[in-house]
Amino acid sequence: MNLKAIKDALIIGRMKAIPDLKRQPLVLVLIAIISAIPLFFFAISSGGEMMGHGLIGAMVSTVGFIGVNAAIQDITWDRYVKIREMIVAMPVHPASYAVGVALAPLLLSLPGIAFFVLIAVGMDTLSVTSFIWIIPALLLCWSSLSAVGFIISTYLYKSSPYTLNNIANILGIGLIFIPPVYYPAEMLGSLSWISYIIPTANVASLIRGYAGLSELSPENAMIRWLILIATTIVFTLLTALKARWREF
Amino acid sequence: MSEAVTSDNLLKIYGKKVEALKDVTISIKQGELFTLLGPNGAGKTTFLRIISTQLMPTKGEAEVLGYSVIDEAKMVREHIAVVPQDVAAYGNYTPWDYSYYFAKLRGTSSSEAKRSAKKALEAVELFEMRNRVCASLSGGEKKRAIIASALSSEADVLMLDEPTSGLDAVARRGVWSALRDMVKEGKTILLTTHIMEEAEMVSDRLAIINKGNVVANGSPEKIKRLAKERFRVVVRGKLNSLPANYEVVGLGDKQIIYVYNEDEALELVRKVLKKGLQAEAAPITLEDVFVKLVGGWNH
Repeated sequence: MNLKAIKDALIIGRMKAIPDLKRQPLVLVLIAIISAIPLFFFAISSGGEMMGHGLIGAMVSTVGFIGVNAAIQDITWDRYVKIREMIVAMPVHPASYAVGVALAPLLLSLPGIAFFVLIAVGMDTLSVTSFIWIIPALLLCWSSLSAVGFIISTYLYKSSPYTLNNIANILGIGLIFIPPVYYPAEMLGSLSWISYIIPTANVASLIRGYAGLSELSPENAMIRWLILIATTIVFTLLTALKARWREF
Repeated sequence: MSEAVTSDNLLKIYGKKVEALKDVTISIKQGELFTLLGPNGAGKTTFLRIISTQLMPTKGEAEVLGYSVIDEAKMVREHIAVVPQDVAAYGNYTPWDYSYYFAKLRGTSSSEAKRSAKKALEAVELFEMRNRVCASLSGGEKKRAIIASALSSEADVLMLDEPTSGLDAVARRGVWSALRDMVKEGKTILLTTHIMEEAEMVSDRLAIINKGNVVANGSPEKIKRLAKERFRVVVRGKLNSLPANYEVVGLGDKQIIYVYNEDEALELVRKVLKKGLQAEAAPITLEDVFVKLVGGWNH
């Protein structure tokens, strides 16, 4: 991406996030609450023991959920307000558009993530130095799931937004609330390998390892990072190759 | 005047069978407002989407300011701005958001984008309302806010797909006025519409498109001359004896009778009035010619 492409992505991110933030600030609470609900139940049902795991889950689920929902954002912009259609006919690179549309909900979710981070640091679940690893892991999770969102919007372009909304929600629940995101992978016993292949669970396991809540050997950490990076590259490439910009 | 947009035998087939455009050849001069007029499904939007690099043609070539829309889409996009069909204003945006962000996406500095946004909003008479969210604006104001986003880009060629559909007469005239002002500034505008009055009022030249074919092309006056009848007499009631060479169209309890000149029209009105019926004569409109060209008066 050249400088203009990066600038365009930031402009699109801003034009998508700032008006919503200025005029509908409740969206910040909504994004945080969606991730906080499972945390609340995990913390209560475990008598507070799972609070650390739940906080990590809340952080991961926030970036994951907004990533998958990029599909809805895209369809809304294209089908209803037609902003994508207007941008296609402008000197804007498709990648700038995709990054910008994905960036906007990330900006809106930052206060929620910061809230969970503050609690986690305050409770000594996370150390400040562990953020060297946590931030890139969360960013990779966001980018891979945003790419998944765009792939959905490409393949289900003709579906109604209601169908797409349902699919994104089902996928969101499937990727965030069922796999070991809010709880440690070890609880799944022989099925704990699942945490390697699902990006959200993979990232949650990595963060748990850096937080000292689960075992994370250097070899294990390397495998998880490699899988995470590979998944992000594959989904991003799929988006770049398959996403439609100009129609045929 | 050199050409801003040209298309040469443009063909678009959707799937394997649906021919949306059939060898459309059009030429639009720089600094003119050119209208594509046609019924719903005629191929207007398909043409505009190809010219604006959103859709690839099946065959043929088209150029904008000398750049191929097929091979030099990036260069074409530097010079155009588009307002799509059925565009809806994003409720949380203000007219300022629309104009400012779209100007920024052209790669201009913030101060330059602010200047362009101000100019665009003043052109569509929305500057005073620039900070009101679109959700609180009227239909016409919303449309003008979106048109301002295209204007703020300061593109040379503007492509507007039915920008006044759904607007009332007053709002529509506000948009027309803004469009003519842009032409005065030297912009080239490609407009699509199915509103005859709009095509007649704002266009320098127009093409009538039907079922993917261009059936007429020229100034509104030239197109009106395509029908040999020049006047029409609208009669309330039914006339039984009429010269056989007159075209008569029944509209419920009314008849439209097309005649060749003013004298014939006045003569016919006198006859009708003598029979105790009401009648009025007027020159034929673009709509009369359009209906004749796309399906025939008695189709």
